[in-house]
Amino acid sequence: MSRLYDTAEPSLVDEELLQKAVEEQGPQDQAGQIAKEEGIQYDEVCQLRLDYKNILKIDHLWQFTSLTKLQLDNNIIEKIEGLGRLTNLKWLDLSFNNIEGIEGLDSLVKLEDLSLYNNRISVIENMDTLLNLHVLSIGNNFLAQLENVIYLRKFKNLRTLNLAGNPICKEDRYKIFVAAYLPELVYLDFRLLDEQTREQAFGKYQYAIEEMRHNEAQERRAMDARQEQEDELKLHRDAFVELLNGPYLFDSMYADDAEAAKLAYLPGVSVLLETYKNHLVALCVQVFEIGLAQRGRREDEVKSFFDCSREAVDDNQQRAAQIAADFEKARRQVMSEMQQATDTRLLEAQMNHCSEEINQLCDSLMTQELQLVDQLEDIIKDFERNISDMVAGFIEVVQGIFAQCRDLENHHHEKLLEIAVATLERVAKNELEEDMPDDVRMLFVDKDTVINAVSGSHDTHLLKIDNREDELMTRCNSWMSALMKSVQDEEVKRNRKRISEIHNYIDYVRDQLDEMQHEHH
Amino acid sequence: MEVLPKVESVKEVAIDEAEEDRQDEVNEDLLKLEETLCNIQITPTPCSLPERAQEVDLSQYPTSYKENSPQEKLLLAIADNFCCQYMHLYPDRKPLLLCPLNECGVQKCVSTTLRPTLLSYPELYSWEGCASFVSEFLSLELLDPPIDPPRHLYSPTWLMQTQRGSCFDFSTLLCSLLLGAGYNAYCVSGYAVKEMCLLNQSLQECPLLVTHVKGKATEQKRQVKKYSVKPPRDLRSGFEQRQEERRQSDAQAILLKKQQEAERLQEERERLPPDPLLGLRVHCWVLILSGNREVPENFFIDPLTGKSLSTTNKCFLGIESIWNHQNYWVNMQDCRFGCAEMNFDLGDAVKWEYLLYGTTGQSLLLIPDMKKQQEAEDDEEEEVDDPKVFEMPPSWVNQINISQQDMETRCPGGMKVIQYRKAKLEKFAPYLLPDGLVTRLTTYSDLDCTQPSTVKEWYQHRHDHLEERELKKTSNVNIEHFRPGRSYALKSHRYITMAPETERQMDFYSHARADGLARRVEMPFEMTETFEDRPDFIYHRHVVFGKRVKVFGPSNTEAPDQGQRPLQKVVERFNRDRSKPAGEDVAERIFLVSEDRIQVTYHREDDRIIPAWRNFIKPRDSGDSQNPHSFTPQMASTFQVDPFEKPSKNLFLYEMLVHMMKEEERVALKVKESEKEVRAILGVREQEESSIELHISIYNTARNERARCHREALERTAKEERLRQEEKELDFLAPFLAQLGDPENLTRQAALQLRNDCLADLKQRLIDKANLIQARFERETQELQQKQQWYQKNQLTMTKEDEDEYLAYCSDAMFRIHILKLRLSRHKDKAPQKYMALDERLRRDPRLANHLW
Repeated sequence: MSRLYDTAEPSLVDEELLQKAVEEQGPQDQAGQIAKEEGIQYDEVCQLRLDYKNILKIDHLWQFTSLTKLQLDNNIIEKIEGLGRLTNLKWLDLSFNNIEGIEGLDSLVKLEDLSLYNNRISVIENMDTLLNLHVLSIGNNFLAQLENVIYLRKFKNLRTLNLAGNPICKEDRYKIFVAAYLPELVYLDFRLLDEQTREQAFGKYQYAIEEMRHNEAQERRAMDARQEQEDELKLHRDAFVELLNGPYLFDSMYADDAEAAKLAYLPGVSVLLETYKNHLVALCVQVFEIGLAQRGRREDEVKSFFDCSREAVDDNQQRAAQIAADFEKARRQVMSEMQQATDTRLLEAQMNHCSEEINQLCDSLMTQELQLVDQLEDIIKDFERNISDMVAGFIEVVQGIFAQCRDLENHHHEKLLEIAVATLERVAKNELEEDMPDDVRMLFVDKDTVINAVSGSHDTHLLKIDNREDELMTRCNSWMSALMKSVQDEEVKRNRKRISEIHNYIDYVRDQLDEMQHEHH
Repeated sequence: MEVLPKVESVKEVAIDEAEEDRQDEVNEDLLKLEETLCNIQITPTPCSLPERAQEVDLSQYPTSYKENSPQEKLLLAIADNFCCQYMHLYPDRKPLLLCPLNECGVQKCVSTTLRPTLLSYPELYSWEGCASFVSEFLSLELLDPPIDPPRHLYSPTWLMQTQRGSCFDFSTLLCSLLLGAGYNAYCVSGYAVKEMCLLNQSLQECPLLVTHVKGKATEQKRQVKKYSVKPPRDLRSGFEQRQEERRQSDAQAILLKKQQEAERLQEERERLPPDPLLGLRVHCWVLILSGNREVPENFFIDPLTGKSLSTTNKCFLGIESIWNHQNYWVNMQDCRFGCAEMNFDLGDAVKWEYLLYGTTGQSLLLIPDMKKQQEAEDDEEEEVDDPKVFEMPPSWVNQINISQQDMETRCPGGMKVIQYRKAKLEKFAPYLLPDGLVTRLTTYSDLDCTQPSTVKEWYQHRHDHLEERELKKTSNVNIEHFRPGRSYALKSHRYITMAPETERQMDFYSHARADGLARRVEMPFEMTETFEDRPDFIYHRHVVFGKRVKVFGPSNTEAPDQGQRPLQKVVERFNRDRSKPAGEDVAERIFLVSEDRIQVTYHREDDRIIPAWRNFIKPRDSGDSQNPHSFTPQMASTFQVDPFEKPSKNLFLYEMLVHMMKEEERVALKVKESEKEVRAILGVREQEESSIELHISIYNTARNERARCHREALERTAKEERLRQEEKELDFLAPFLAQLGDPENLTRQAALQLRNDCLADLKQRLIDKANLIQARFERETQELQQKQQWYQKNQLTMTKEDEDEYLAYCSDAMFRIHILKLRLSRHKDKAPQKYMALDERLRRDPRLANHLW
């Protein structure tokens, strides 16, 4: 069915071909003339038809970025390529070609209608991103695996599917199978899927489908749960107290501390560790709760600030817009009057009056803006002070708690040292009842080793605590400075934009006036 | 005239002035006309219901009305005794109204005249409903003399029939209804001010005019947020401001003073001369004590107006006695300062002297539960101790019966007029007036009610859904309100005249219209339409018309009104469509049709203060695609908000211009449609006003003409059916029996003879009928043959018409012949059956049966 290579010379997609197609298919009549005079930009073309051109290779289409409809049917294309940049495509027609596999469509996420009719495709694949697909025509191909249709289940919007003319259609269960696995489908092979077929299909494949549904639902649930967890962690991170609502800190303190593990074998240490852990975790949880509460307060503060500043800006904007609109209305009136006026003296006076008015408008708009800048500056200052107070307070409290942590660690260290020394003595006296692993025994060769081990462990722990504290503080401070910077930047940007807007308008109005003056002279 | 452009020549101005003068003259004429019209006054003469017969047939009344039972006699004796003692003890107080005569001239106690009755109308279950019913249903007969209680007190039965009564009768009826509905109600005999006694409400504001001020304006104080910006510094001089304020407050004070002065004067003028009989005028009203039916506080009801009044109201000057259906109490409290200090604890024997000692003697102010309990205990005790307590005998009055019609008609004759201060309220029963008017409120600008300022009318059951009409006399503005369901979903209509293209305002039920139109305001040369919830986001369209171009020629003279006024300017405004970027979302389109220009303004971006716009000048050969060179870039001018944005292409501008020109045509069409619609609405309104129809619910069996006809038709057919049935039962032996001289008993011979005669007669008739059909058949056939022969003879000389006529005749004749043939064959079929049937019936006939078998 596909045309053979030798029947016609394959052609290339080149400048000439594209230009011709665009001109032929673009606006006609007067619009066409205007378009020609101006020149057509490829990136503005919305529809393009390149059918019956004997094209072998898709090429040079990357410029057509705003294309929504592309027809490449009835060519001799063998591979889908060169379409990656046409991300706005909604309709793609590749029927009657020699394509052997589906590929290169991943970036066309807006695609709704895809036609691959009469090609040489044997597997439906590589379409995971085309979730907006409504219509898929893939008839007259070499699809042989009926189970391959299940792949289409992920397209929730798919309503029309054409599979006619494939080897799979010869199977008896073809229609029922498709109806069963694609329950949202309305038209199959351009025929309405009636209720009866659907019921039959459901009856036949009930178990399979239900199992599949169950699996899908489970997957969805798992995904949701994961999402929820991530959200929670994100929340904690925003409060700078992530992983403090449990024994994570404690665990991390002992994770890369080899000495501690050895020391844990000493008599009485396990009890000591247990109490130490409980105390430390309690303190961590304290930090965690304070952090969350503080985050809430900060959030409220930020929200209140943004609400107020937005309100002020809106209000100001409303007033300025009213002034501008009134002026514009009056200006149009005056301009049309002046156009009809004949008396030069009167006109002159009017012109002067007009430029006076323009200056006044400029002044009043600028005053409004400056007022707003002053007002905003005030509240930004207030806000900055409040936020920094808040952060400082938070850090202070946290520091206090971390100091307690360190005390706890010191205390623990002393206790441990006592036990170690006592153990050393007993080892020296050979009074030790329990068996100790050899590497632990190695510690008790002399006093220095023991003390070194214990204090090494102690240092590691202190370091961990310090690190956690530092991290919290730096992140908190950097959050604050980033926030303030963004607020200030935004304000500057807003101010610049407004001022340039005012100037733009004033310049425009002045130009118009000047033009009028020229005309009359 | 204001809308004319300023460049009009002097000449036209002169014409305008002349026109104005003429206008003034017309206005004067109008005023004169109005005056003369005002002089011609007619009072609405509703097709009043026949006056109720004043003479009520007393003989129909049961004996309890005409005689006293032994119980009642005993009561009368007690009352008499009570009165005597009272007169003796308080010689300077007026005699009590205790046992007046009833309509039959029999002495009856006031308490037994009360007949607690609960009726099945839901509106009579609340005191408001009862009071308004009584006040509307009865018309007042003044007491004569006004300082004495009446000698007669009529029963509610009498009142229902005559619909007239004194204030005592009013109270009796109202109290009966209230007691029936479960209220703790009492009739009060006492003294009141003149206005109340005479039902003179001309000093009061009409209740329909009192606009209830909404509790609290939702003055949501803007809460000061933490970061609210400070207001910009005020650079005006504080001193000047204060000076200005002082000046203003002074001016205001003077104004206020003047106003107060004017008010005072007004009040003085309105004040009535003092009443010489103040404090002596007898009145009767109703008291409701708290406790039952969740009444939180004691209050009075004036039965004449049906309004509730506080017990401390200054209109009530004193109380003589009160009673309900169980007892009678005389007030022992001082009434020199009105009723404000009155205590209504009827159990307090110092303040209230009771007629009958009994269960009602204890304090009524106790909590009901306790009271009940106590009552129960008391009952028991009394049963033991004092079984002979005399109780008020049951009422001698029959149960009050209010017919459905009375309930609907309400006022005597179906109408009532109440005069208020500067207002007159007329009420009519539904369906009484042919135009469905139920209430008319006329307000006047002066106290004497000669100069009406507004007339407000309420309608019911109108087929054109008119609900309310207001006419402002001063400006001649009419406002009509309609219920939903009209064509074009018209909601209200404000107009001066019904002529099109004049000032008017129409409101619509926008959700019921496909185009979402909510309001259309018209001025002589302008039209403004407001829309709601449109998918294309338009909310406003303002049209300015030019003067109609006068085309001299025969085509325009026929229908000058139908000529389209040329459009001068159309402004359309749109709401923001959030699905589009602001720079592409049109906010306003102005089609300056007369100047061949189009102005398009876009919405402002959220953070901008100046919108983008595009102005187009239409090419001369507007919309002619044949001429490709008509568009030049000069025709479009654009203001871009963002100077760095690429200017739009000429192609785009051209396409937009073409689109806008198309839109302009479309809008012109829309405007034309709107004008047409206005004319259609006005036409319909005029027609409706000229032939007013009232809508009658299909459930309203009394009025629904069609339903009644249907019912009557049903009845008639039923009757006919019955008659036919009777006819069937007709004795077909009768004529033959008559021939025999109606013998008592038939002999066998005679019976046989009778039967044979009967059958022979039927046979003869059947044969006769067949013969008749046969004869007709033959005649028709013969005629047809003759005609055919005649036709064949004259066929050649015949005209086309004759031939047609002949053919028509032939087919007619053939038809008739065919029918006769059918009839004959059917008759032949049926005849034996009929014969057999008669035979059968004769056999069954009881008179013959004995003899034949």
